Amino acid sequence: MNNVIECNNLTHYYGKKRVYENLNFHVSEGSILGLLGKNGTGKTTTINILNGFLQPRSGECLIFGENTQHLSPRTKARIGFLIEGHIQYSFMNIRQIEKFYSGFYSKWKPAPFWELMSKLNVTPTQKISTMSCGQRSQVALGLILAQDPELLILDDFSMGLDPGYRRLFIDYLREYAKAENKTIFTTSHIIQDMERLIDDLLIIDFDGVLAQTSVNEFMGSFKRFDFVLENDKADLKKAPFVVNLDKVKNKIELYTYSSESIVKKYLDDNNITVSNFAQVKMGLEDAFIGLTGKY
Amino acid sequence: MMWKSVVYKEWLKIRWFLIGYTLLGILSIGYLFLTVKHGFAFTGGKNIWNTFLFLGHQFFSPLKYVPLVGGLTIAIAQYFPETVNKRIKLTFHLPLGENKALLMMHAFGAVSLLLSFLVFFGMFAGFSLVYFPVQMVTDSIISISPWFLAGFASYFLVALIVLEPEWKFRFYYSVVGGFFLTIYFAPAQTAAYGPANSGLFVLTAFLSIALLFSAYRFRKGEM
Amino acid sequence: MEKISRYLLVFIAILTLAIILPKLYWMAFEKPIRKPFILYSCIYDDFMIHRISEKTWKDTKGQQYTREEYEQKLPMMYLKQLLASGTMPDSIDGVELDMHDIAKAKSFFRLKINEIDAPVSGLYPLFESQSGRTMLDLPEDFFRITWRIDFIDAATNKVLEEKSQMFSAALFQKGFSFPAKTISGLSTPRKSIDEGYLIVDSKDQLFHLKMIKGNPYVKQIDFPDGLKFRHISCVDFKNKDFYAYLFSDKNEIYILTQDGYKLIKWPVDGFVASNCDLKIYGDLFNYTVIIEGEDHIKAIALNPDYQVVKTYTETWKLKEEQTEVKIFSSLFPAQVSMTSDNSKFIRFYFSPSKGLNWIFLNLLLMAFHFIWLYGRKVKLKNHMADLGIVAVCGIFGFIAIHFFQNKFFD
Repeated sequence: MNNVIECNNLTHYYGKKRVYENLNFHVSEGSILGLLGKNGTGKTTTINILNGFLQPRSGECLIFGENTQHLSPRTKARIGFLIEGHIQYSFMNIRQIEKFYSGFYSKWKPAPFWELMSKLNVTPTQKISTMSCGQRSQVALGLILAQDPELLILDDFSMGLDPGYRRLFIDYLREYAKAENKTIFTTSHIIQDMERLIDDLLIIDFDGVLAQTSVNEFMGSFKRFDFVLENDKADLKKAPFVVNLDKVKNKIELYTYSSESIVKKYLDDNNITVSNFAQVKMGLEDAFIGLTGKY
Repeated sequence: MMWKSVVYKEWLKIRWFLIGYTLLGILSIGYLFLTVKHGFAFTGGKNIWNTFLFLGHQFFSPLKYVPLVGGLTIAIAQYFPETVNKRIKLTFHLPLGENKALLMMHAFGAVSLLLSFLVFFGMFAGFSLVYFPVQMVTDSIISISPWFLAGFASYFLVALIVLEPEWKFRFYYSVVGGFFLTIYFAPAQTAAYGPANSGLFVLTAFLSIALLFSAYRFRKGEM
Repeated sequence: MEKISRYLLVFIAILTLAIILPKLYWMAFEKPIRKPFILYSCIYDDFMIHRISEKTWKDTKGQQYTREEYEQKLPMMYLKQLLASGTMPDSIDGVELDMHDIAKAKSFFRLKINEIDAPVSGLYPLFESQSGRTMLDLPEDFFRITWRIDFIDAATNKVLEEKSQMFSAALFQKGFSFPAKTISGLSTPRKSIDEGYLIVDSKDQLFHLKMIKGNPYVKQIDFPDGLKFRHISCVDFKNKDFYAYLFSDKNEIYILTQDGYKLIKWPVDGFVASNCDLKIYGDLFNYTVIIEGEDHIKAIALNPDYQVVKTYTETWKLKEEQTEVKIFSSLFPAQVSMTSDNSKFIRFYFSPSKGLNWIFLNLLLMAFHFIWLYGRKVKLKNHMADLGIVAVCGIFGFIAIHFFQNKFFD
């Protein structure tokens, strides 16, 4: 299995402010990787580096084996890029924009584009700038499908979209990707959307990488335990298994990779009496917040 | 044939501005010669010639900033839409060398401007030859040439400035560019620019690839 | 490509700064050099010197006078004033003064440096010399001399064939060799009389062309072999002594008399056309030639036989020694300007600073830039060209390489 994307020892600073240091990750062919992180943790930075719009302080990213700072035209043809906010040349209408892009890609497939456009309530001469956010996202999606790239890089595909359009986007995308063995690298800040789309995740925080694994594995190993402390002064922060701890009076939300038995053993060993101990099932968003914290 | 698509996009951006500008220019030159014709009828041809030859009256002086306006207009029409939301990323992402794409865009704008200018020039020379002998027409052309070169220079400079990602440097480039353009407009008597025109041509040509510099800075992630 | 684009921008920035910064400097600090106003006093046999800014009137020996005393020594110049104050003498040197004669003899001629190096139109009006009218009318046509002489009617922009052929034949018969090198004359109808044009042909021969009652008048003027004229200024003086002042390419001053076309060389030396302004005052008794250079002024008085009667020279502080100039040459290596006081042409006039003190500033800026680079921990070898630019172009280069930064080219 080839690595479509490979980033090695990626380090970047904005002035003196560190974004991340020695970030390593890869995306294998056919997988869908979601980059999750709070605002300011480096999602857009990574997207910019991958697209050749930012030179990292040190380290490199390779796409199809080529350094992203000098991608060849041939390689660029194999990459589809969605800019945050579905930014397009909105002075064009859909007819003009299809004509424009088709000139660059030898494998251009107009059919999927027009199929999507038929679902839109727009005239062929309507300028994209006059369309709604959702309609614009469909145009952007249609163009990517028509380009039929091997790798899709999507920067926050859900920004500004209604739930209906978001659902449409994700469903279309996932079906398309799996059917054609496409590789996708995406970011989004709406975690529920990511959950429907991605196979693998990369969670970054201000300190660096917090998790880098498949979604299934992550959801399987990262747990939340809720319980009530008898003694609300008991200090659990020093416990080795604690990833995050939310304490409101004597109600505890514990986030950990460890098993229930290890947690219970610690409580017993330290004479901490608890009641209503239960594992709470989490969605990806809950797990993300649990891992990164509410602040 | 990717250049066709590149040109198509540029054409969509500038077509109305180019057509509008060319029409306005044609009207200006037409009006200019209407005033010449009127002058001939009312003041007399010999007096018009005399004031031109010996009293420093340049009948073509209203044309002074016409090419400059053209350069500014086309450059803004072409490059401003690229900077809104950093849309130029879309062009850089195309399967085409980034500099190649930019130079294609730039060449199209410059050629469009050139065609407009050639129309103006042709009209100017044609009408002038009706009223004035060859010497006076050549001297007039020598005098208006720097203004046309300034039109190209302003096109090249505005592209450089608009594509620059950092405001601080946009300011610096504007200051340098603004002062540089004054070189094309030094107070001069008719045909005085003769010795300087070839140098000005070279300097203008130097500016033709200026935009690659700020685009490069953009691609390296300068904010 | 981006690297080349940057260096071209740096070059353009340096050129622009080399034009603008010195210009601003001079606008702020330039001090005018007030040249004295010098005239020859025929009464006193000395030059009278008036320094306008200091409001002094002196002679060459330093003796000071009041304004009235000064004017009394210069009756030819201040005729009106002296008549009004009743101090005008009746005679000078035994010659009885006739107001009419004095007025007729008065002339003033000025030649500025930039008049010689200026664009030439090539088209001139040939007036009717004997129209019988008191005022001259601008003719309906203008002529040019290329492979023949063409008269072009201004109203129709068409060549007048008959007239052109007639005049061309006349020139050809007198030995004129087409095309003309220079055509000199007074193109304005505001003159007392028309004396046509003095034309130098392609073989450096000199011709006089006039139109008399519609017919061509052509006269070839003889002069010694090897004499070449750089500039000819026709004059319209009331005394009708000569047609023009002629300036040879050896900086000699000649006059061409109306009587017999005699070319007479004036015994005036020290005139250099490329950097001196010239003024010639003529009156009943003398011609005073004033040569104004950058750092000196020379006055030569001639008698009516064009012999030197007296000379006076004054020099002043060379521009180099002025403080403003010294500071300039400590700041800027050179100055570029599109215009020049010595020419009407637009060129890239490059003038290096007088003195080399700017090298210190250059080295200082170089060091400053070096430290700045060091602080940014960049690979120095990628910045050698920039350092070289600062070393040579000084402050212009320093500003240019900071406006167009050498970032991302490592």
